[in-house]
Amino acid sequence: MMNATGTASTLSAENISVWFGERQVLQDVNLVFPANQVTALIGPSGCGKSTFLRTLNRMHELIPSAGLAGRVLLDGEDIYDPSMDAVDVRIKIGMVFQKPNPFPTMSIKENILSGLKLSGRKITDADELVETSLRRASIWNEVKDRLGDQALSLSGGQQQRLCIARSLAMNPEVLLMDEPCSALDPGSTRRIEETIQELSASMTIVIVTHNMQQAQRVSDQTAFFLADENTPGGVVEFGSTENVFNQPIDPRTNDYVNGHFG
Amino acid sequence: MSNLTSRQPWAQSSATFKLQLAIVSTIPSVIGLLFVILGNLDFSIGLIGVFLPIQVLTVAAFGWRKAKRRGLSDALLIFFTIFFSTLVLVLLLSVLGSVIFEGFKALSPHFLYENNRYVGTTTSLEYGGVGHAILGTLLIVLLTTIAAVPLGIAMAVYLTQSQSKMRGVVRTVTQSLAGLPSVVAGLFVLAIMQFTHIERSGFTGALALFPLMLPTVARVAEESLRLVPSDLRMAALALGAPNYKAFFQVILPAAKSGIITALLLGLARVVGETAPLILTINMNNTTNLNPFNGPIASLPTYVYSFLGSNYSSSQQRAWGAALVLLIVVGILFGSARILSRKKSLKTKPVKKAKK
Repeated sequence: MMNATGTASTLSAENISVWFGERQVLQDVNLVFPANQVTALIGPSGCGKSTFLRTLNRMHELIPSAGLAGRVLLDGEDIYDPSMDAVDVRIKIGMVFQKPNPFPTMSIKENILSGLKLSGRKITDADELVETSLRRASIWNEVKDRLGDQALSLSGGQQQRLCIARSLAMNPEVLLMDEPCSALDPGSTRRIEETIQELSASMTIVIVTHNMQQAQRVSDQTAFFLADENTPGGVVEFGSTENVFNQPIDPRTNDYVNGHFG
Repeated sequence: MSNLTSRQPWAQSSATFKLQLAIVSTIPSVIGLLFVILGNLDFSIGLIGVFLPIQVLTVAAFGWRKAKRRGLSDALLIFFTIFFSTLVLVLLLSVLGSVIFEGFKALSPHFLYENNRYVGTTTSLEYGGVGHAILGTLLIVLLTTIAAVPLGIAMAVYLTQSQSKMRGVVRTVTQSLAGLPSVVAGLFVLAIMQFTHIERSGFTGALALFPLMLPTVARVAEESLRLVPSDLRMAALALGAPNYKAFFQVILPAAKSGIITALLLGLARVVGETAPLILTINMNNTTNLNPFNGPIASLPTYVYSFLGSNYSSSQQRAWGAALVLLIVVGILFGSARILSRKKSLKTKPVKKAKK
């Protein structure tokens, strides 16, 4: 029943620079996220890694003062091409936020189906989709007897896994996760990490995290972001997680992953 | 009670403390009452001139004994909170009480559904009623609501969801419109009517109430939409929702109870308005169910026209109509609240999960 239905895609960012008003926060970021790989984005607070993540599914443009240069390619197609619709991009590239944000007026089941309803797609077998999505987010056993309950009746960790399940119901090709475990206890964190590893079989995952151990546990490759004072942030080092943590090339990466700053 | 306090060590107090509290809270009012009864003092003078100073002094002394300056400030704050809220409560209840007391004398089943076709100024209360005025009020307020609520919500949506530079202007205009004296709204519509030769009817009355209801609805709805966390909108958009679906399926449902409050406050604002209606509708003693043509009755204008009479039966009718107006408002509020609760319960029942 663990059906890996999605087709993963390769996502690549080319020369991404980002502005808020006149202030530049990112400079020339070049990263490739190969299909079925988990990429961790690490770095101190305020270095622009969450901002970068939001450029990958066009959530960045929702901020009024936002500016952007560069290209983001999903299987070779530029998602910022004028012929591309932001809504279509977000359907293919799902997102899980830092704080759990289930829809409070909907039940657990309705939350899972909300993505399809909101994007105007047909729901063929609602019950099956709900079960599959909840199972993939490893929360099915906890909620299967109360699918009609309000989503807010769940604990914080369960709410976050519900939000993951909600994204999975859309069958995204890429899943972006913005510090998905920062508000959760160790138990919930562990379960979400297990979920991430299982999901990488069917999709490409990019995860922002402040937790070094988490990055090492879940990711195949790691990008280290850094912003010096009053200069835009950028990628200092990018490579396999193994190399970034154990044989970093840049001394600043070495300092950061070993906890000397940040 | 004793069970509860035994589990609440912070709520326990010594016997002397209880005694002091009892003295502090009874002695001043006893002295005040003695002055009023034995000294033949006017009640309000006794309240403000005798009771209040003594009570403030005793409360201050009590607080000082407990914890010096800190205790004094605490005790005074608590006292004034209780004193003024009681004062306001008494004032409100006496208004309500007098309407209920006086109005009840006129109230009878036929008073609720008969009209005033055969009623003169001295006709006994056994004949006639406010049925036509209830219907008139409901029709006029319904017309106003149909126009003002959707438009008010639309304004609130514009003020909260758009990034337009015009928002400041719209918000300022809305806020100043909220301070518009209702008689001016009536005069405005009257001027338009004279200019365009539109006859007085329920519709023109609704037109005069419209600028009063709109800003109330818009402001309260704006507040409630503003309280919806932006996370939810982001979550919806990240799932591939177009803006309108994110709004109608996520933001609006989350703000629903606030939107209903906006509707209720808007209703409360206009349902008892008298001045604009006096200027824009012709009063009627018979039932008129067509708000677009002819004179039409309403409860506030009914109260206005009968309260000025010198005859006691007419005055009684006015009080009765005032009470009916209160009841109508109560029913409108209650039903709106129940309707809103029903809808949120719809998602509650647990559906059987497939094993």
